[in-house]
This record gives sequence, structure tokens and C-alpha cells, in this order.
Amino acid sequence: MSVANAPAVTISRDVVARMSALVGAKNCISNPSDLRTYECDGLTSFRVMPGLVVLPASTAEVVAVVKLAWENGLALVARGAGTGLSGGALPVPGCVVVALTRMKRILEVDLENGFLRVQPGVANLDVSKHLGPAGTYYAPDPSSQSVCTIGGNVSENSGGAHCLKYGFTSNHVLGARVVLADGTVVDLGGPALDAPGYDLTGIFVGSEGMLGIVTEVVLRMLRKPQATRTFFATFPSTDEAGNAVSSIIASGVVPAAIEMMDGLAMRAAVAATGVDWPDVGASLLMDVDGPLAEVEHTSRHSVELAREAGALEIRIPKDENERALMWKGRKSAFAAVGRISPNYIVQDGVIPRSTIAEVLHEVTELSKKAGLRVANVFHAGDGNLHPLVLYDARVPGQEKAAEELGGAILRLCLRLGGSITGEHGVGAEKVAYMGEMFTEADLETMQRVRCAFDPERRLNPGKVFPTPRLCGDLPGPYVPHPSELSGEATRG
Amino acid sequence: MNATAPAAVRAGASADAILGVLPKEVFSPSTVEEAAAVLEEKARASASVGFVGGGTALGLGRPPRRLDAVLRTEHLTRIVEHAPSDQIIVVEAGITLADLQRAVGAHGQRLALDPPLPERRTIGGLLATNGFGPLRTRYGSLRDLIIGVSLVRADGVSAKGGGKVVKNVAGFDLPKMMVGSLGTLGLVATVTFRLHPLPESDVTLVARARTARGVRELASAMRGAQLEPAAVAALLQGRLFDVAIRFEGFPAGVAEQRDRLRQLVGQPPGSDCDVLSETEARAVWERHDALRTAGPLRAKLAFLPAALEALVEGPFAKLMGALGEASFVLYPTLGLGFVAGLPQGAVLVAQAVESVRGSLAGTGGSLVLEEAPDDVRAHADPWGPPPPSFALMRELKNRLDPEGRLNPGRFVGGI
Repeated sequence: MSVANAPAVTISRDVVARMSALVGAKNCISNPSDLRTYECDGLTSFRVMPGLVVLPASTAEVVAVVKLAWENGLALVARGAGTGLSGGALPVPGCVVVALTRMKRILEVDLENGFLRVQPGVANLDVSKHLGPAGTYYAPDPSSQSVCTIGGNVSENSGGAHCLKYGFTSNHVLGARVVLADGTVVDLGGPALDAPGYDLTGIFVGSEGMLGIVTEVVLRMLRKPQATRTFFATFPSTDEAGNAVSSIIASGVVPAAIEMMDGLAMRAAVAATGVDWPDVGASLLMDVDGPLAEVEHTSRHSVELAREAGALEIRIPKDENERALMWKGRKSAFAAVGRISPNYIVQDGVIPRSTIAEVLHEVTELSKKAGLRVANVFHAGDGNLHPLVLYDARVPGQEKAAEELGGAILRLCLRLGGSITGEHGVGAEKVAYMGEMFTEADLETMQRVRCAFDPERRLNPGKVFPTPRLCGDLPGPYVPHPSELSGEATRG
Repeated sequence: MNATAPAAVRAGASADAILGVLPKEVFSPSTVEEAAAVLEEKARASASVGFVGGGTALGLGRPPRRLDAVLRTEHLTRIVEHAPSDQIIVVEAGITLADLQRAVGAHGQRLALDPPLPERRTIGGLLATNGFGPLRTRYGSLRDLIIGVSLVRADGVSAKGGGKVVKNVAGFDLPKMMVGSLGTLGLVATVTFRLHPLPESDVTLVARARTARGVRELASAMRGAQLEPAAVAALLQGRLFDVAIRFEGFPAGVAEQRDRLRQLVGQPPGSDCDVLSETEARAVWERHDALRTAGPLRAKLAFLPAALEALVEGPFAKLMGALGEASFVLYPTLGLGFVAGLPQGAVLVAQAVESVRGSLAGTGGSLVLEEAPDDVRAHADPWGPPPPSFALMRELKNRLDPEGRLNPGRFVGGI
């Protein structure tokens, strides 16, 4: 479902000149060959040429850019590092891409109150690096964390390996400064909890750039746990590995992370990173963290359960270097698949954890039927599958077959009560599946939320919702409360 | 239409009044479909509707501008699905927290949420009011536990958001939207939660602090020592704070954290920090619950944790002074607290409330009156000034309930 050949739409020279004056000539890209850098994000099979790319350096510059776009009826697409895998930052023809990568300052660190305030272009890992000396960190850790930005994480509600215990971006964002489609600046939430009113921060995080452009984020920082214990276990097949996951979770242990890879994914990681993993059917990589005595117990107990479930070998890293290498093997698994296949599609389905073994058998069947290999990497603790469908785009029909196989896997997830996306977002890629997960009424309700923030639908159009629609007119004016009329209360 | 039976209905009686406003009719649907049919009918009649669960938080907010009908969720008490191995549960909104906990407890699980009055409070009511207890220290609030919601909109249309799996980013986050929305965006019909394993063991300790600063320093020392308490609550007792701290988990970890905390506190170590027996522990957490539900006036405070002393030594003292039998429950790691007592003069209390609000305003803190006598209400808005994003909140309300028929006027800023 590629939209590679959408026609280029140009923005008038006058608007380009004014944008250029707002952000500086070198931060305003209109040359077609330079624009090409921004025609896709991590989902490279979808490409659309933007009309213009601007790189503002402050909230004030974002406001100026947004207002100018608003006056000229231009669509806006915000973008961070462009690592997203669902096409969330895919331009629409003739849009203005607002790249926030120059806004990468950490504005405030408040150790006593446990929060920090950052600009959206700060890389995820840089936050934890910055906090490291104080013994604190920022918990969400998407695999792309060394480059992906906090702004992108906020838009997509990014997850990572450690979500099972610590939650997602939305559990760690306390507030945000947001520029709405008409240029209005609004502060949502903040470091103090439970501000009266609706949880607009909760609504904003994960809204895929459709509700506003974030220019500051208030993040919660956590104290580093006293201890972390990691082990790596190999299994004859994903059946035994899946059973190990189930029995560890059932025992009351809440792993910080529990990751599964099948044999094909392991072989790719070996080829790419040089980890010395054996050629077996499946493996688990698990972290527990917390107070020392607690993790000594939970790690020992989990290792026993893995053995009982049929583990072939258990490896416990000798030191932090070995542990880092194990995680490097896991985190590079997507890219590693490039070593064993010219092309691949990453899927992001979620299933109830208890169905892992059943699902993997069905995926194997589907893969055989399609004649394509599937490598499986996933966050097993929360049932988030990342099947990597391998194909060769040079072989006629294979790309289409791979897309169909990916789709069949998503439908399988839905049939079992799961989701079409656990952490990558709907973006442009999974728009077509939204109607299979949600009813027309569900989507229309979400659309109302969008209309409250962006009635003209100027921000990141074409994402999330399968059918474009207008924001209906509102019947009747707001009726003020008598206490407002008397001046006792205000509407702000 | 469909063959849904009409919901049970009766005329409103004085016990059904919300903040003194009497509804004409009271509906008690026995299924979500019946509830949707009621809302559809009320939409046709342009009637205003309020929702009532356990009725424990009816003092929250302003009196509704209009109240044609009340919809009670007392018969929507089913467990729709509990998947122990997936650690999720789907329940109807009218189930009490205690009933939910009993059902999942039989499988060694719990919803990590422990507000007072679990036998009376319903899941829908807790969601509408963002209810919480001491476990928030470790597990966060409802927004961190909810993974799916189905609601019935003002127009009677049913819609859902989220799902049944813990990890899911498909579509906008309607579950979080409903948390704390006080029945102004729709009827919460069903809620899906992630569950946690029941801990194998737990221990409660009580440390004494002479000042608010002492409480904050203790919280900070625990953080420094990488202790991970499941619950921390300071109860003001006379002029001292009893700081109740609970560790949960596997026995070895609980014992080790208990011992390390005693090392941290007092001179000699542990001198001012008692390890409670099971009975004593139950008593201290019951005292917490009693203080949380006490008093004809009850206010919730939110502030930055490090601002505690400034708060307590500042206008807060004036508020405490204006209350008879004043009590204070403090969650020092969260920056949240509850003050309760008997107002000694409505104007005095209202002035103190405004002073506290003024002192909190700069840092985004807030004071909300959860319960207050009418004479205090006459002088102080229960919500205080609306937040800077209020225009967006009003717009959201207008999109979801364009005619303003759901709990009109009761919420922040008259929404």
C-alpha cells in the first residue's frame, strides 16, 4: 500500500520566503533534493514529498511557523528523528514538515521533585545519560533510544523492553507545552499531580502528532533500582520459551523485561553483532530489578522456572559489559535481519500473553503458506509481537505477499483479543486495520477528541483514522454557569 | 430498534439529590444496553443526566445546573471477563472495588488500587473521581492501571477505546480521557484493568517525624537508599507525624528492606521506627482510611513534594486553624494530601482555602474541596481557578456532549 508516487505539491515562493525569514534560511529547506531526506520516516516503503521543511529553534518560532501555515491553509507534519516505524511522520503532499531536532535542550532538572523539563528534540537516551550521575533515569527505552527523540516518543506513546514493569511514555509524561493548529500555546498538566480538570496530557500522549506540536515536555524521573539481574536462556523451540514466560509471570514475579527471540532472529543477531548465541529454536532475555534481596530471589526463582520449562542453557552475565552485549544483541535484532534478507517488514501486533505458543504456530503456518520467512522478536511479558516478515523486493509479487502476510498476522492478533499496534503507532501504515479493531462509533468518538484540538484537521492529516471526515458544527453555544456570570468563577 | 427491556425507573427522592438538586427520575438499568437506551431516550428529550455509583463522592464539585434524571449503576455489577494468566479484568462500572478484589484475589491477584471504602465505592465512581489510596506510591493512579474503557455517550451511542492487552497504542487514549471526568463526557459502562500479583508478604513500619520537614527528609532518604515502599502515608497525630511505610514482595526482599529502613531512621537505628504486628498494621491503615473519609469538610491538596514545608508552615496552618478536629493525611512521595475537619466559620475557612490556593498556584498545585458544608461552598469554589488549558477542556466537553446534558455545571470551571 505504498503511496510513493504522490505528486509533489509546491508552496508559493512568498510563503517559503516568509518561513525562511522566521527560522533562518539554513533552517528552511525547499530544494527538492534536500526535501527528499524528509519524504519518509523509518517506514521507508511509504514516501511523500513535503512542500517545505522548517527546523525551528524555539516555541516562539514554532508558533510563528504554525500561524503562517494556518493563514495559508497548509497542513503541518511534526517530526523528530524520523525513526518511527508506522509512517507517523510521513508528509502529505505540499505540507510543511516541522522538524524539531534543533530543539534539544534539557531545560530544567528538579531532583527533589523528581521531574525534568526538556525540549522535544532531545534524544531519549540523552535524558538518562544526563540524569545518570544523580542516580536517576527516564524509564521508557524504545530500541531506537540512542537516536529517537522525546517529542517523537510523546507522539507515538513509545514503549520499549521495560514497559511491562514500568509502563509506557504516557506513564512518565507529567505535562507538555503544546502549540495548537492555530498557533495557540497551551500548557497541559505539569509536575504537580492531579490538576483539576480532564487529563489532557493523557489524551495528548500517543495522539500521533494530530492534536498539537509539542515544544516542551515534563518527564518523570525514577531513582535507579538498587540492583538488576539479567539472564539469557535458550530453548529447543518457542513452545518451551513461551511456557517459561507463563510460569515466571504466574509465580508472581514482575520482570523488568522479558524478551523472546526465535531461532531465525537469533541467527540474524549473531551475524550482525557477533554475540556468541547458539543455533537453537528460541531464547529469552530477562531482567529483574529492585532492592537487592528481592531481585536475588526473583532472578534465582525465574532461572529455576526456565529450567523446569525446558531451558537448554542458562547464561548469567559476569559483568555489566556482558549484560550490555546481550541487550545489544536483542536491541539490534530489527536491523540485524537486514543481514539475512534484502528487505523486511516489522510488525507490531499484541496478543494476550497466554496465547503466545498458539500464535507462533499460526504465524508459522501463515508463513509457510505465503512462502516467506518470518523472524520473531518480541516483548513476551506483555504479548507484544514483532514478527519480521522477510522478502526480496526484486522478486515480483514478494513485497505484496509480505504486506499481506503482515496483515494476516495483525488480524490474528485481533481475533485473539489483541491490538494492531503495541508501540509503533497506527501512523499511515495501519490505518486500514483501524476499522477492524474499532467500530465506526469508536472512531467517530476519537475523531471528536481530534476536533476539539484541531477542528480544521491541519495537523498530520491522513493518520490513525481510516476515513477522512469533517468536524461537524456544534449545536448551540456554551451555557455559562451562574457563578461564572456573577464573576465568582472564571472560564480561563 | 432492538429488544432491550426498559430500565427500572422510579421517581427521584430526597436521598437521590446531588448537592441538593433533586432528579425527577432515577433509572437503574440492569444491562449496559438498557443504560444506553436510557441515554438515547434522554437525548431525544433533551434531558440532563447525572450518574451515581456507590454514592460516596456526591459531595464533589458544584451542584448540577440541571438534573432531570439520575442513572444508577447499582445493577451493572458483572465481571465481563477475567483472564488470570493475562492479568487483566473487564468489569461493569457498578461493581464495587471490594467485589472485584475478592474475585481476582481468589487467583492470587489484585487491582493495585486501595482507596478507602472499597465495599461501597464502585469502579465507575472511582474512575470518575480518580480515586486512590496509599498504593499509588508504587503503582501509580487509575490512569496507570486502566487499559480499556467502554462508554455510552450523551447521545446514547456506545464507544470504546484502548483494549484488553496491557500494551496497546491503537487510537486515541479514551481510557485516560475518562479518568477524573466526573460523568461529564459519558457513562462509563465497562472498564478493563491490568492486574498485579498479590505480594507473598508485607510489613508495615511506623516512623515518627516531628515536622513536615522530617517527613520529607525521610521520604528523600528512602529514595536515596533505593528502598521501594509500596505505600507511604504520613498521618498527623497531634503535633507529630506518624509515617506509615509498607514494603511488599517476596519475604527475603521485604525483610531486607525493613531492616535497611530501621538502619536509616533514628539514633540508635530503629529507635524511632516500629515494626508493626499484623494487627497493628491493619489498625494504622484503617486509621488512614478513617482520616481520609472524616469531617464535614475535606480538601485534597496537590503540590510539589519539596514544597511541603513551605506549604505546611504557610497558609496551610491557617486552614488547619480554621478547622475543629483537623486531620491531615500526607503522601510525601507523591505531593498529595488530604485535610479534613469541622469548619469554625465559613468565611474563615474559605479565606484560608483561597490563601492555600494562592500559595500553590505558582507551581501548578491545587486544592479541591471534596466535601464541604453549604456555607463554605457559598464562599469558595470547590475546584478553584481552572487550569491554563481550560479552553481546550471546554471544547472537549462540547464535542462529546454538545448540549451540555451530562452532569452540567458540576465539573471544573462550570463544565
